[in-house]
Amino acid sequence: MPPFAFLVRTTREERMVRLLHNRTFHGFMFSAPLLALFGAFVIYPMAFGIYYALDRDSYRALFGDPTFRQTVWNTIWYVGVAVNVKLFLALLLSGILDYPYRWIRVLSALFLIPWAIPALPGILSFRWMLNSQWGIFNHLLTKFGLPSVPWLARHDTALGAIIVFHIWKYLPFWTIIFLAGRRAIPHELYEAAAIDGAQPVQNFRFVTFPLLRNLYLICTLLSMVFTLGDFTVPWLLAGGAPGDSTHVLATLAYRYTFHMGRLEWGMATFAVALPVTLFFIFLLLRWVKI
Amino acid sequence: MGTRRRWLWRVPWIAALCLALALIGPGLTGTAAAGEKLVVWWNKGYYPEEDAAMQKIVKEFEAKQKVEVDLSFTAQEDLLKKITAALIARRVPDVAFCFFNDWQVIPKYGWNDQLADVSDLIKELRPRYNEKMLEVAYVFNNKTKKRAYYGIPIEAQTMHIHYWRDMLKEVGMEDDPAKIPMKWDEYWGYWKKAQDALRKKDPAKYGKLYGIGMTMSTRASDTLYNFDMALLSFNGELLDKGGKVVADQPKNREAIINTLKWFGELFTSGYVPPDATNWSDGDNNAGFHNKSIVMTPNPSQSIPASQFFNKDDPQKTNYFDNMATIEWPAGPDGKKARYLSAVKTVIIPKDSKNQKLAKDFVRFVLEPARFLEYVKAANGRWYPAFTDVAKDPFWRAGHRGPKGQKDPHVPVATTIYQDRDNKAFEHWKHPANSQVYDENIWGKAMARIAIDKWPPEKAADEAIDRMKAIFAGYK
Repeated sequence: MPPFAFLVRTTREERMVRLLHNRTFHGFMFSAPLLALFGAFVIYPMAFGIYYALDRDSYRALFGDPTFRQTVWNTIWYVGVAVNVKLFLALLLSGILDYPYRWIRVLSALFLIPWAIPALPGILSFRWMLNSQWGIFNHLLTKFGLPSVPWLARHDTALGAIIVFHIWKYLPFWTIIFLAGRRAIPHELYEAAAIDGAQPVQNFRFVTFPLLRNLYLICTLLSMVFTLGDFTVPWLLAGGAPGDSTHVLATLAYRYTFHMGRLEWGMATFAVALPVTLFFIFLLLRWVKI
Repeated sequence: MGTRRRWLWRVPWIAALCLALALIGPGLTGTAAAGEKLVVWWNKGYYPEEDAAMQKIVKEFEAKQKVEVDLSFTAQEDLLKKITAALIARRVPDVAFCFFNDWQVIPKYGWNDQLADVSDLIKELRPRYNEKMLEVAYVFNNKTKKRAYYGIPIEAQTMHIHYWRDMLKEVGMEDDPAKIPMKWDEYWGYWKKAQDALRKKDPAKYGKLYGIGMTMSTRASDTLYNFDMALLSFNGELLDKGGKVVADQPKNREAIINTLKWFGELFTSGYVPPDATNWSDGDNNAGFHNKSIVMTPNPSQSIPASQFFNKDDPQKTNYFDNMATIEWPAGPDGKKARYLSAVKTVIIPKDSKNQKLAKDFVRFVLEPARFLEYVKAANGRWYPAFTDVAKDPFWRAGHRGPKGQKDPHVPVATTIYQDRDNKAFEHWKHPANSQVYDENIWGKAMARIAIDKWPPEKAADEAIDRMKAIFAGYK
């Protein structure tokens, strides 16, 4: 039976019988629960958010708030620095973890610990380590006769601490991804390069990196999308302090919505980031040709 | 085969029906149940005794009224988000009590006409009220264009300063609160002197100790208390009686500048922990308990109350002997300190289907003997908003120590409430002021001076401009 044959003019009973025996209709009905869930938990919240974000006054209020302007810069710094440093380090570290030694396997397992431990205790421990009175970092600095630093009480060091923690936490994950990518490269290519007299740096430049390039770019885009929406690290580590100078868009939207009860401002804050996120997703989809 | 196929095409219908029931069912039952029971969201107490006292009250109410009460306790930060979300979604509890209601809920949602007008209940309770604490719920409704009572104030907190007596004794300084200088410069200088003396006496133990645990962070509501208290000491006002911004008037601008300058100098003087600009509300408490600061200003009696329940100190030596509570000093002009109280308030959302029962519940909770038991369970952390409850000897005498010691904390707070010039925080005057507090613009101004090294004039003007912009947004 051709699809949509049930639309041909017939009696009502015949149409009903055909409808109930139509494969397209069956397919639609089988996917209906998923579509309903998608509609309820993806489309509806998005539409709700966009509805709230359409209020022009919210944007006037946002751009009139000095904290928002600072937040946009922080987000650019956070995403730009954290993602690029993290992925570059991951690319290099994946090369070390690719060596076929037993101790490297042990090192790999240890290296995964930051990624495996829950974020909350990790962040709280890091916060304590950065405490200017009792933290281990200042203790070590003063041991060597250096002045102690109020890490979380200055904008630059607090934002730096957020970026460092993010890198520490998520570096292992991306390293493993690159390691898998490296291991997928046919060994024959390295053998051929060795016959041509290639040194390790040349191997990396002419064999490894060209073959990992696509993966690297996809990982960069994915990580940018994740980091742009990252709330946990900036919020738990600094909570916007000092002086609301370390907010990123996700934490500021939360502050507007739940601390100030201004849902429309929170939605507008997310909406500001939405075109950037959608652009990354668009690039990503084009890259992987979905 | 034919039967199997018939079943096959029925499956999607059954699945869709199940899904629809799963999605709609809870809503239907929720709506039905809302008429039969009273939903009460209550702020989780700091001590188990507070929660137990409320549970007891609820059981008595259920027995008396023959209704079911769905009581849940939530920590204050989470409860505020829960109440905010409920009011936005208009799926509300019948009664909600959160420590942040007075500041973050009543002015805004009273303005939006989303809270029940409880003026009738207030009128009934009025003879019992401490009048100063009543105005906190008298907010403006932008729909009816008039003020009314949109909450029921029940208990209050005010500014106290706690210090370690044993630390002062250790360096031979006077530790009796009655003998500590109460003039502005001498008072703050006293704690600086304590820091210097302790660091000098034992650098290994006290090398990282600070004299003044002054919270100056945008993360903490304590910052607002500190700023507003200091501003009163410098004779500054932010709003007039009608809720209009007067912060930009020359006299008040000068007071704001002087206040911010004082905070900035305090921070850069090296007598306040550098992390104070990053503290949350609990961090000065933690710093005090672990003795990394000599003194700290703190709203509510949570610090001594915590020591009272300290299981590692069964003799309660810290509470009765090692620490004390002292008043805020006289202002730089020598005038006695003026105080601010945050009055904690119960709300009944306008969308509640059980408003009469909700009022009956609040009325029941606030009966003198019952409410006294509840508020005393917090160990003096809160002060009752009702004069009859406040007449109980506990508030003047406090606890008696195991060796017969007098209470050095609760009576000091009672003196502040009963004998000093004390007014409620001014969130109630205008919902925009609530946002000023939400944004913690004075904490931000402090950070501008302490961290960004702005001159106080520039920081003050930025904060005043922001305050005016926020007020201009409410029409």
